Amino acid sequence: MNNISQDLLAQLKGNGADFFASVPCKLLGDLINLLAADDSVEYVPVTKEEEGLGVCAGAYLGGKTPVMVMQNTGVGTILSTLGSLGLFYSLPITMIISHRGSPGEKIGAQIPMGVAAKPLLETMGVPTFSFSDSSQVAQVAQLVSHAQVAQKPVAALLDFNFWGQA
Amino acid sequence: MSEFRRYELLTALAPIFDKEFVVCNIGFPSQELHGLRDSERFFYMLGSMGLSSSIGLGLSKTTDEKVVSIDGDGSVLMNLGTLATIANHAPKNYTLLIVDNGAYGSTGDQPTHTSQKTSLAAMAHGAGIESVHEVRGLETVDKLKECLASDGPHVIVAKVSPGTPKVTPIPLAPAVIRDRFRAAVAAG
Repeated sequence: MNNISQDLLAQLKGNGADFFASVPCKLLGDLINLLAADDSVEYVPVTKEEEGLGVCAGAYLGGKTPVMVMQNTGVGTILSTLGSLGLFYSLPITMIISHRGSPGEKIGAQIPMGVAAKPLLETMGVPTFSFSDSSQVAQVAQLVSHAQVAQKPVAALLDFNFWGQA
Repeated sequence: MSEFRRYELLTALAPIFDKEFVVCNIGFPSQELHGLRDSERFFYMLGSMGLSSSIGLGLSKTTDEKVVSIDGDGSVLMNLGTLATIANHAPKNYTLLIVDNGAYGSTGDQPTHTSQKTSLAAMAHGAGIESVHEVRGLETVDKLKECLASDGPHVIVAKVSPGTPKVTPIPLAPAVIRDRFRAAVAAG
């Protein structure tokens, strides 16, 4: 268990996050294990990223503050949902995204979406911020509050360096 | 017997919703429901085909009231993983009502696979959902009432004929649908 994941979850909760959905990534393994064991938050592991955005949308409609935990490879499949659900209905959903394809990556197939993830999110109009150092955990978690101000989905891309695994 | 389509089913179902929160599928289903009866307890989807079941699932974990996702066969086929998530994570106040007309109704009634070999009820069973009911036409009303009176999660596959009467787009802005629905949930 790494302290980065413990810190991140604590600070996300500190910013009001109380509902999580996730699709796995190796970099997110510790965070997902923590979520599954945390009785103080609602947690739904889902089968695909769009499904997770739908679950988060429903949670927000029910008064919760949702966070979608996912890998950047899923960014390619959620663009339409981000547009016609997240952005169209102005839903503050914080996306905590592991950034595969960043330096430290060992799988070549991760590179194309590693390059494309941020411009794709920005093209959709999603405020997107990249983080490369675990000392920035507080700034990552602050995006939960930022999403409420922005009244739209916001995204954090957390690369191998952030997770101390470059 | 006259044709029994989704519209006839929604005509029979619209009056029975009381304290329940309803998430209604994109396209004609939402337009039909809105035309039959409007309520701040109805969330009309204007996009994101396939996610009615998921939005309802997320909502159902935030409230003790009953939640009904009105979905379609084409939409569920687009998000089949939802059945496995429902089986493992949906609370007892959740009901998924799949109006199965065997057609992509909002795009011109192209046939879906459920009009041929595919059974969504069997898939829901296979996903691990215990309370799965396939019903025809008007039988759906009593089955839904029964599900709303008991612990779920429930899945109802309601077989109806394809086709849609003339409907008009929903005149509500998305932020209006969002805000009045959130307020209704917050009020309980």
